[in-house]
Amino acid sequence: MFQVKAGDLNKMGLLFERYHRKLFSFLYYMTGKDDASEDLVQNVFFRMLKYRHTFTGEGEFKTWMYHLARNVLADHSQKNKRSVLHEDVQNYSDRISSGAGADDSIYKEQELITLYDSLGKLSEEYREILVLSRFQELKYEEIARILNTTEGAVKVKVHRAMNQLKNIYLKLEQ
Amino acid sequence: MTNCKDIEEKLADWLENQLSPQEQAQVESHLKQCPACQQEWQAMQQVWMQMGQLPVPKPSPAMKIRFEAMLETYATTVEEQQTYSPRHLLQLVKQLWQSVWMPRLVYSLLLISIGLGAGYWLHKPSDSQISQYQHQIDTLSIQMQEMRQMMLLSLLENPSASERLRAVSLTQEFKRVDPKVIKALLTTLNNDPNVNVRLVTLEALAELADDPSVREGLVQSLAHQDSPLVQVALADIMVKLQEKRSIELLRELLKQKHVDGTVKSKIQQTIKELS
Repeated sequence: MFQVKAGDLNKMGLLFERYHRKLFSFLYYMTGKDDASEDLVQNVFFRMLKYRHTFTGEGEFKTWMYHLARNVLADHSQKNKRSVLHEDVQNYSDRISSGAGADDSIYKEQELITLYDSLGKLSEEYREILVLSRFQELKYEEIARILNTTEGAVKVKVHRAMNQLKNIYLKLEQ
Repeated sequence: MTNCKDIEEKLADWLENQLSPQEQAQVESHLKQCPACQQEWQAMQQVWMQMGQLPVPKPSPAMKIRFEAMLETYATTVEEQQTYSPRHLLQLVKQLWQSVWMPRLVYSLLLISIGLGAGYWLHKPSDSQISQYQHQIDTLSIQMQEMRQMMLLSLLENPSASERLRAVSLTQEFKRVDPKVIKALLTTLNNDPNVNVRLVTLEALAELADDPSVREGLVQSLAHQDSPLVQVALADIMVKLQEKRSIELLRELLKQKHVDGTVKSKIQQTIKELS
């Protein structure tokens, strides 16, 4: 990123290669929309270029990236008031089927769809923290920096989010 | 003995592998004793595991193409923007100077010089014009002098002696004196009733002695003067002018009876100096 900041814009391609999938999945889980997420990824990378002078290097690049992503996301959800995970179930079940192994039963497939549904029903705040910790595989410490909070607070939040997700899931399963 | 609430809080950490081995053992031992927590844990674990099985959403390949296009567009715009940064400002100025301002500057300078040249050429005073102006000025000054001489002449007729004195003093301003004025002055010198006026006139005429008619008039005037003061002054002027023609007249003056004694001795001295 420092090289990008110094004017080597081609290095941005490298960063894109490394992070765009993660970023996409984060935005996908937060918005539930394919094309919108792609737009947002584009937006995040554009902001990286535009605001590259604000990258101080104090935090990690990843932290900075998620900061930008969250800003972009906030702008986006402000424009599209409804921010519930707006899943296209058919589309998503297709994904799951194609991604699942041969021995996976329809039952299992159904379970995953339910889970996905549950995630969509989770509050945005909890969904975000689970996405960051489970899907983005970030450490509590990193999440704390992204959310400008303490590690302890993240821990509590993850715990509560997991609990709620589990409850929603069990409810839907019945 | 740890309570269920404490354990519950640790379950999420366990999922994330954030527990120390000691804590983990603690939780495990509790789970064995507590079916409720055990159930909770299993449910949570199941959800957690399933979350891991959710397929990772993948962006379309088009996104990368879009990104690259964006990057390229941005790079070119940034390059353009950079020309406005301070570092490039000097270069920019230089460029402007060379590309735009220089020809304009040269052009405007050229125009100015053409304008100046044309203005000078158009208004260049030609020799004929100069002489014409000179002539006009000369004419004006001549007219002015003529007017003054006219004034002098009329003033000399004035009954007031002081006005006549003023008239005589005007002759000092004249470069060239009109014969009419000389005649008038000589008349004044010979006939003016006031001695002072005659004396001043005499002084004025002495200044004009280069003119032969003035000299002649002055010499002839000796015969007309009766005032001792004027006679003495005239005698002095004759010496000054080395006017030998006056000797005869001076001798005649000596013969006259009414001439003052001091005047006579003055005249004798004058005759001596002249001869």
